[in-house]
Amino acid sequence: MTGFQPPRRLRVEHRTRFGYDRTVAASYNECRIQPRTEPRQQILESHVAIEPCTWRYDYVDYWTTSVIAFEVRIPHDTLTVTGTTVADIAEAADPPQVDWARLRSAQTTDAFAESLVATARTEPVPEVVELATEAAAGKPPHEAARAVSDAITAVMEYAPGSTGVQTFAAEAWAARRGVCQDFAHLAVGAMRSVGIPARYVSGYVQSHSGAAIGETVAGQSHAWIEWWTGGWYGWDPTNGKPVGSAHLAVGRGRDYGDVPPVRGIVSSAGQSRLDVSVTLTRLR
Amino acid sequence: MYRPDGTPRSGYTSLHQSLARLTGEELRTRVETLARTYVDQGVTFDLGGEERPFPLDVVPRIITAAEWGVVERGVAQRVKALEAFLADAYGARASVAAGVIPLRLLLSSAHFHRAAAGIEPANGVRVHVAGIDLVRDSEGEFRVLEDNVRVPSGVSYVLENRNSVSQVLPEAFSAEPIRPVGEYPFRLLNALRAAAPEGRSDPTVVVLTPGIFNSAYFEHALLARTMGVELVEGSDLLCHDGSLFMRTTRGERRVDVVYRRIDDEFLDPVTFRADSVLGCPGLLTAARAGRVTLANAVGNGVADDKLVYTYVPDLIRYFLGEEPILPNVDTWRLEEPDVREQVLDRLDELVVKPVDGSGGKGIVIGPDASHAELDELRSRLVADPRGWIAQPVVALSTVPTVIDDHLAPRHVDLRPFAVNSGEEVWVLPGGLTRVALPEGQLVVNSSQGGGSKDTWVLGDRDAPPTMPMRAPRTAHAQPMAEPDVNPDDSRGHQQQQQQQINPGRSEC
Amino acid sequence: MLSRIAESLFWIGRYLERADGTARILDVQLRLLLEDPWLDEDASCRALLSVMGHPVDAARVDPVDGREMLELLAQSDAPSSIVSSLAAARENARRAREVVSTEMWESLNTTRNEVVAGRWRSRSPYRLFAWVRDRVAVVTGIVDATMSRDQAWHFLVLGRYLERADMTARLIAAQDARGGSGAGWPLVLRSCGAFEAFLRTYGAAASEDRAAEFLLLDRLFPRSVVHALLEADACLAQLSTDEAYSAARLVGRDDARRLLGRARTELEYRPLAEVYADLGTHMDRVQRVCSAASDAVAQRFFPGGKATAWVREHS
Repeated sequence: MTGFQPPRRLRVEHRTRFGYDRTVAASYNECRIQPRTEPRQQILESHVAIEPCTWRYDYVDYWTTSVIAFEVRIPHDTLTVTGTTVADIAEAADPPQVDWARLRSAQTTDAFAESLVATARTEPVPEVVELATEAAAGKPPHEAARAVSDAITAVMEYAPGSTGVQTFAAEAWAARRGVCQDFAHLAVGAMRSVGIPARYVSGYVQSHSGAAIGETVAGQSHAWIEWWTGGWYGWDPTNGKPVGSAHLAVGRGRDYGDVPPVRGIVSSAGQSRLDVSVTLTRLR
Repeated sequence: MYRPDGTPRSGYTSLHQSLARLTGEELRTRVETLARTYVDQGVTFDLGGEERPFPLDVVPRIITAAEWGVVERGVAQRVKALEAFLADAYGARASVAAGVIPLRLLLSSAHFHRAAAGIEPANGVRVHVAGIDLVRDSEGEFRVLEDNVRVPSGVSYVLENRNSVSQVLPEAFSAEPIRPVGEYPFRLLNALRAAAPEGRSDPTVVVLTPGIFNSAYFEHALLARTMGVELVEGSDLLCHDGSLFMRTTRGERRVDVVYRRIDDEFLDPVTFRADSVLGCPGLLTAARAGRVTLANAVGNGVADDKLVYTYVPDLIRYFLGEEPILPNVDTWRLEEPDVREQVLDRLDELVVKPVDGSGGKGIVIGPDASHAELDELRSRLVADPRGWIAQPVVALSTVPTVIDDHLAPRHVDLRPFAVNSGEEVWVLPGGLTRVALPEGQLVVNSSQGGGSKDTWVLGDRDAPPTMPMRAPRTAHAQPMAEPDVNPDDSRGHQQQQQQQINPGRSEC
Repeated sequence: MLSRIAESLFWIGRYLERADGTARILDVQLRLLLEDPWLDEDASCRALLSVMGHPVDAARVDPVDGREMLELLAQSDAPSSIVSSLAAARENARRAREVVSTEMWESLNTTRNEVVAGRWRSRSPYRLFAWVRDRVAVVTGIVDATMSRDQAWHFLVLGRYLERADMTARLIAAQDARGGSGAGWPLVLRSCGAFEAFLRTYGAAASEDRAAEFLLLDRLFPRSVVHALLEADACLAQLSTDEAYSAARLVGRDDARRLLGRARTELEYRPLAEVYADLGTHMDRVQRVCSAASDAVAQRFFPGGKATAWVREHS
């Protein structure tokens, strides 16, 4: 039964704070934390506050992600970037499906070339390729993709703090542990190895689906994947679930490197501490 | 220079006469003078931390007006097509949709920079300067060997070679109408100024160099000097409020156009390599915001990709609706399995090049390679077919070159330079002729024992030059008074004379 | 103009003058070693090395001879040797290549090439000194004959005169340190082409005491300390003409000018006998002031030139 479901309305506040033990004279950064309106999600309100900030420039990048480039050219000891978004999010619709022949046709492989090539971060080790090949065997593309992702999810342990943003799929695989980013890297790498176009998605997820309307709960910035077997289909390998109205997407790319939330350089020889907090409030 | 029957080839007649008049001793003196000029002037390139002069051969390479006409039109055509291709690659991708070039090829190029998407050049120009490498095959036809639209270098040698050779071999110059090369800096400056962001009526142009240890530093300085603009290093620049400034003794000064001579990867540590100190943080954002123009544009390397090169004739047909004037050298794409098999079977007869290399780096010349080298190459080709192309060994034309006091044939190539102002693609009449000094060697590169030659494009005696010289205002200059002299000078002479006379008289 | 270029020009001025000054100082010392049989070679070489900023370890027992001193100050890779100074001048010109005239560049380049070739290593040191003076004179001549009197020229000349004040102070200090009869003064004067000018100026009153006075205080002689300080000040005044605050009205707000002005008036208005009584200390002060003024110039005109170290950060 597919009755009309009203979209979920979420308010997301994503705060990133860098603290420096030595005063920083200048820094140049880019942040990718603003979701954009797309078929499954409608943005009602969105703003990013940067403190301190001497100049900012908003643009949409190659991956159609909304980016804010900003300069901080005054001495500072902390840098805080706070993004606030209110969005209506619908459940995903089931995409049309194609068979393996279509998927492997020159036309498809050329059109989705960027989602078929392994990158350094997603490069699957032979063991992963083997695992993916076995999982996909004998299944139509969509089921094969699901099976490949499940195979990864089954082996990997979700262990917060076990890896960092610069961890490659191969390293996470060797440890058999990781966070959402590693699950996503492994899954897209494995999928591409069997010829299924797949991409990395950065965004937010409301994990406490039981939270009451109006209640603010801690959430997280999250990463999941999308594969193409006739249309793009979102899947959350960390949770082993399809992407739905609890997932708010910010950007897509080949891997984390194409959609880092905050990235920049500072003129400092000192150490920095990073605090990230994400809070989600279901408004409807 | 010579026909098979020993007579000089067309264009070389009067040069031949001039050279024939020189004795071996005279020739040697000229050669030595020439060599010393470059050491004295510091015209050097840096090789492994050592400054070396780029050997300049005294015998010029001559291209007739008719031959040059083909090169000129062919190079301009190619540059226009590459411009259109780059705009398309970072924009609508109509050429992909039309099936002219595979998307996969574009996206897998090491120099396809996604960060360049969305940076719109102010006057639409991405290839402000191009260097198109040509060779002449055994039929005498010029063919394109590779395109350089990132940071092509070598034009300083074109300018300096002319200066030096005109001093050493003046008699040959008077015999032929040789087209001058000196207007290059003006053309370049005009093109750079034309590329300034909108609303900057008197734009400030700078040349960005990696610094004095770069092999082409001499060229960077020469271009800055002859254009009359600042030569800056990354540490001279800073971005604030999205604009670019340089640090001067009177404070910060806005910069509008950067003729950058550093690679994309080093331009901006925010976007590219964070460890780069050669560039300036925020530069790419400033370019994206339209506050500064980078010349050449970021991401042009995709057009230099040697696999993309194989599609350039099709791109010319697609974008310009014309037949290519200069053909490519035959090239095999190793991505196609049956082609790859053929190539692997004939590796020992072919030249194999990495698609993203420049300056002769990584090239394997089959006939010169050992079995072990070919075996290694074979496995690399199989592992990464996208990374390589193969070409037949082109029987490069030879030009007489002074080797140990006498003239001997040596292989040459030609890199004409084109400047695109947005209004016009202008091709410098001349270009850099590189010569492989070791006998029989086919790779002509300064890092591999190469030298250069002055390249003479002969003018058409009947056609006026493109930039007519201003005639003197009057036939005879106004006569002027003789320069003043110190009236005391004559008294000085007298005194001296008396003093000289005195000793003779002192005897009395 | 670019701060980095201005800095290079300033240092071209300083290095050329340093090569020239060092050659003159060494010339005097070597001639005295030859001509003055009463001069203690070890002691005077130690004294000179100390004046030139290369003090010999006091604990060292074996004597220092002229050859060793010459090697260190003229031909070694030590940062302030003649050889290093000429090479450094050329490196700075290479860095500022596009504002330096071709003539000047070629002159500096050939000079450095000859140094690198080491051809005159085998020749007599006097020929070396003469050659260095000639080369510096050629470059200086080209500078003055071909460079516009714009900021570039003023920075170069500022460097030249700051260094000259420093070098003449060391020349005087060296003679003072050798002590003794003062027989060296005529040679000192000759070494900087001042002998005739000195005789003409003082006539019958010319004496050894007066030699130091001339080299220190004569406002007209171009190698005197006071003249050099005046010229350096004039350059700074020119460089400040379009500043927000008028340099002509508030000289004291310019650190470099204040330092130089104070040092000059100290010399000019202090009773000469007091200066003579402690010539070494006063010359040391001049040298320190030049160094401090150089720092002040750098701070004001060449700020932030150092490459910043950037660190990548992401969340």
